[in-house]
This record gives sequence, structure tokens and C-alpha cells, in this order.
Amino acid sequence: MIEFRDVKASYDKDIQVLDGVSFTIQDGEFVAFVGTNGAGKSTTMRLMNGLLKPDAGQVLLDGVPTTELKTSQVAKRVGFLFQNPDSQICSGTVREELMFGFKALGESGPEVEARVDGVIREFGFNPDDDPFLLNRGTRQLLALASIVVLAPPVIILDEPTTGLDYKECKKVMDIISRLHEAGTTIVMVCHDMEVVADFAKRVIVMTAGRVVDDGPTFEVLRNPQTLTRASLIPPQVVDISIALPLMDERLAASPVAFANTLDEMQAAVVEEVGE
Amino acid sequence: MIQIQDLTFRYREGEEPVVEDITLDIPDGAFVGITGAAGSGKSTLTYAMNGIIPHCYPGDFYGSVTVGSLDTCETSLTDISQLVGSVCQDIDSQIVTSIVEDEVLYGLENFGVPHDQIEARVTEALDAMGILDLKDRVISSLSGGQKQKVAIASVLALRPKVLVLDEPTAELDPASSRAVFELLAHYAEEHGTTVVVVEQKIALLSEFADMLVIVDQGRIKFADEPRRVLAHSEELLALGVNCPRSTTLMNRLANVGLYAGPVCCDVQEASNALLEVIA
Repeated sequence: MIEFRDVKASYDKDIQVLDGVSFTIQDGEFVAFVGTNGAGKSTTMRLMNGLLKPDAGQVLLDGVPTTELKTSQVAKRVGFLFQNPDSQICSGTVREELMFGFKALGESGPEVEARVDGVIREFGFNPDDDPFLLNRGTRQLLALASIVVLAPPVIILDEPTTGLDYKECKKVMDIISRLHEAGTTIVMVCHDMEVVADFAKRVIVMTAGRVVDDGPTFEVLRNPQTLTRASLIPPQVVDISIALPLMDERLAASPVAFANTLDEMQAAVVEEVGE
Repeated sequence: MIQIQDLTFRYREGEEPVVEDITLDIPDGAFVGITGAAGSGKSTLTYAMNGIIPHCYPGDFYGSVTVGSLDTCETSLTDISQLVGSVCQDIDSQIVTSIVEDEVLYGLENFGVPHDQIEARVTEALDAMGILDLKDRVISSLSGGQKQKVAIASVLALRPKVLVLDEPTAELDPASSRAVFELLAHYAEEHGTTVVVVEQKIALLSEFADMLVIVDQGRIKFADEPRRVLAHSEELLALGVNCPRSTTLMNRLANVGLYAGPVCCDVQEASNALLEVIA
């Protein structure tokens, strides 16, 4: 469980990045943080994995403040995928990169080797490739794999799909989805509302260092006050679903006014036309 | 404005050409979106337009690229950059100063813009990107998205005739991404600027671009109005390009016989079309 209690944080005295942030994330949740650039999302992620300490308030991992935990203790519990994979990758080969976390934690042996081999197979890597000669999407997958191999119960993803094409994005999100189904807690910062709508079960909205909404994904993404306050653009199907009753008030009670996904909207239109 | 004729380019260290047999004519004042899977040659295509190839990356260059009246192979990078403003994919590789205002000043001073015009040009560019309040900020303290806006402002301040932007909204939130496209479209219309944007956000390209170019394995697969390109949604998906959901929704309804109108490129068009379907 991750708990923020009235957390305040700043990078220098003049600029308050977080201004009293509180929320609780239970084990096994899939939570997306959304909001404008500079809202404090990435800072929240850095506080969550102990890279930053709060100026005031508390960040607790399983009830223990991060200020009382060693970096290695936090790292075992919380894996962190940086926005830019090049901030993370530091080894000469794919295999060395996947071994890096274990070395940092002082772990080795046949079990470690087997886990690295398993991840290499799962992700389809060539273990001898130089990570820095891989394309951006594959480097992002390698950065994700280097976390997955350590099997932390919580994985934080800061913009995991930025700069990826559709196929790469789908591959990354399919892996993240499988991890979530296997019980991993997923916390993701994401600007792609289609990805948020497709995968996250809960959305926390931040603006100017504060949480302004927190709830089930589509309740949040359909909330007009939230959309305005946080300058959010909803996923396109939701956007259409919100627009239709405004264009024709007779559709206010129609299923098209409640459809959140492509399948739901298609079924709603078929139902409406059938009637 | 930009004529690419039979362009093939292979980087010196590469075994295969990265772009091959590219012919593309971009009219003056056009807003062109380029997309495609990672590694398809999109960035290299923009490097051909702003002269980075062959001037910075050596290799085998066949064919010709003309921007305005300049043949990029026979013109110095300095002269090309007077005409073509570029925003790189990796923003940190573009930013050279530590303070936002200095970053926008840097290009203006290097281009010899008269000193009495510089302050107004800096203010105008920062204001256009909505970051006037960041003028005195240390760039390293900015978020990725804020840095991206600084890089675009620095180029806009130079008022180039051609803007080439490689994934300029990659780190921006949806509202800021849309704002950048609105700004680029408005700026292009006002100044007659030709805009070329490489972007993965197909929904924005479909809405704003006059021409959508799909690149696959170094070759152009489609170069046409977005509506005509999006009609090939299955082919696009196979190339690693996903259509906007509004397009996919209406294409699906067309496939089950509920919609027979033109391909929809955005939410507004799809909403209007759906009203007719339901009526």
C-alpha cells in the first residue's frame, strides 16, 4: 500500500511543486495520474519510490515512511520506469542491463540467471545487443524488462508510451497489463488518454501540485468540472459520447450518451438505430 | 516549397538505405504531417529537408532536395537554416543555454537580428507558446513538456519560411499538444509558413494537416489528404499506424452498413455523422 499524507515538495524554495497531496493506493490497483505539464505528476512518482523526500507530510510504503527506508529497501518494493529510457540504461549489453539491478542489490546465482534468461525470452531480446544501438521503442522495452526481472510488487511508469509507435505502445502496454493481472500494482503517469481509458482502473487528476479528482477511470474522464479544471481532453469515444446529447438533447438517455469504448459505442448505435 | 526527387540515402555506417526512392512535392504554405512506425525513416526524411543530411551525417545521397530555390546539397547549412527552422526529437540536444530567455535570444543574436527588435521577438515567441511566465526560469528545472515549448519558441522567434518539427509534442499533455498544433496552424496561415511535422499522434495530424505522409521501411506508402489516407485503416494498422478512434468508429459502422458517408477525421465530424446515422 502506498499512502501520501498532505505531502508538500519543492525543488527550490521559490517553486512549490506539490502543495498538500493526499491519496492511498491499495495493493493490486492500476492507477493513472493525469494532468497538465508541470502539475506535479512526475514529482509524485519520484516521491513514491524514494528518489525525493517530502518537505512536509508523509509518504508511506506499507505503513513505513520513505524517510525511514534505505534506497535498496524501497527499490526492492517499487520499480521505476523513467520517461526517457536513456536515463535508466547504463550497461554494455542487454544481458548486463538485466543483471544490473541484481548486482546493485547484491544478489546472484542460478535463480537470478534463470530469471534473466526468462525475461530475455519473454521480451524477445538478443542478450548480446548493445542497448544504445537499439531503437527508442526497444530501449523502452529493455528499461521495462530491467524492472520486470526484479519482480517488484509495485511498478511506477512515467510516460511509458511517449515516443513509441502504435505497435511498440501496444507491446509495452500488453506486458504491463499482464503484470497487473498477475497482481503487480501499477502506477502510471500518462498523457495518452486512449491508453489511460484502455488500461487504468482508477484515475488521479493533478493540477498545480494538488489532486483535483480521484476515482474510477470513466467517472473521472466524464466529469465536466474535472475536464475543464485540469485542461483534459477525454478519449475520443467519450468525447463523442459527451457531445451527442449536447447536440441533440433527445439523446440524453440514449446508450450512446454513456458509451466509453469503441465496442460500447458501436453496440449503442446499433441499439439506437434498431429502436 | 520543398521538392524531393528520387531521394535515396544510406548512412555511412549503415548497410541499407534508410530512405529509398522518395519523391514528394510540398506546396508553399502546406501543413504536412509525417507518420509511420519507429525506424521507418521519418526523421531521416526531415533531415533531408533541413540539410542535416548530407551536411552533418555523411553517407550516400542520391536524388535531389530543393527548399525554396536552394538545392540542399549545394547550399551551406547556415544558409539553409535561414530558411528552415527545426525542432529536434531530442530537445536536450537542441537547448544550448541555461535560462529560458537566453535560449530564445541565442538564435536571434546569431542570425544578426537588430537589437532593438530582439526583446519584442522574444516576448512574442514566448507568449505564442504560453510560457511568458517561464522567461527567467532555469531550463534544467523545467518539465520535459515545458522544455519542448521553449525549443519551439526559440525557432518561432526566428520566423523561418519552413518549419520542420520532429515529434514536437511528444512530452506535452493533450491540451498543450493541441495548443501547439493550433498555434502552428495559425502561425503558418498568418505568415505563409510551410510546416512539416513528424508525429505519432495521428488524431492531431488528421485534424490539422493538409497532407498526411505515411512512411514505411524508408518508402512513402501514402501521401494525400488525411481523409483519403485514413480510408485505408486496415493497411495503416499493418504498417503500425493506428487511425484516430473517431475514424475507426465510423469505419466500423460503415463495415456493418450503418454509415455510408465520407471518412471522418475527428470527433466533430464523427459526432455530426453519428447524429445523422441515429436520426
